[in-house]
Amino acid sequence: MSLFSILEVSSSGLSAQRTRVEVLAQNIANAETTCAADGGPYRRRRVVFEAERRPVTPFGTGLARVVRPVDRSFDRETQGVRIAELRLDDAAPEMRYQPHHPDADVEGYVAYPSFNLVEDMVDLTAAVRSYQANLAVIASVKEIVARTIDSGRS
Amino acid sequence: MLISEQTLLVARYMDLLTSRQRLVAANIANADTPGYRARDIDFDREMARAFDQPGADPFPPIATHEVEGLRVKNDGNNVSLDRELQLLADTGIRFNLAAQMLRGNIQAVRTAIREAR
Repeated sequence: MSLFSILEVSSSGLSAQRTRVEVLAQNIANAETTCAADGGPYRRRRVVFEAERRPVTPFGTGLARVVRPVDRSFDRETQGVRIAELRLDDAAPEMRYQPHHPDADVEGYVAYPSFNLVEDMVDLTAAVRSYQANLAVIASVKEIVARTIDSGRS
Repeated sequence: MLISEQTLLVARYMDLLTSRQRLVAANIANADTPGYRARDIDFDREMARAFDQPGADPFPPIATHEVEGLRVKNDGNNVSLDRELQLLADTGIRFNLAAQMLRGNIQAVRTAIREAR
């Protein structure tokens, strides 16, 4: 177990949260998009997280092995996180009667994305908070390393 | 003997604190992972083990367990960010204290070397 592995775990959290924020921002921006890249109305995306055992960098393992034997079981039990998949929402679109809209169908209805924008805005706040929590861990690890170096200093 | 028993105990304490910090990091990183359960180490037991067996391997493997009493959210995740952030701060403070003690021990050895010259 090395201190650098903590940084790996937290940076995986940072990446995952940042991707979540990007996806949410995309959802919010496209809440009224009637003609997305695939032709129909925009379909909401959702991220699915998954715990992942991150391989420690060779440098970290090598360094730790020099100091003392690496504790493999502990390594196995502490995990980072990754985005498992980006799920497309398949809810039925919301139909609004707008006969003069360029994307209107023969009956004058336009298909709009049907998700609730406010849900994603709340999720965005939670994502930012999680991101900040991961940053706090990194700051704490930097402090630990600084204190360790200090204890050897005369 | 340069490394006294007390120094080894302090070192073990710092090792445990770092392991706990690592678990907190993993819990925070997985705060939104469906089905993930928060983990922790049994601090008291590990420290008691260090005190009771002073001659044994000073850095035996550390056992982790699932934290009990946490509310499980709808997606099966039971990580409480508040608890984890509090543990983070707590562990950091204790580590600073232990590092100070270690520094004191090292200083004492240095002084002894210097005085003997």
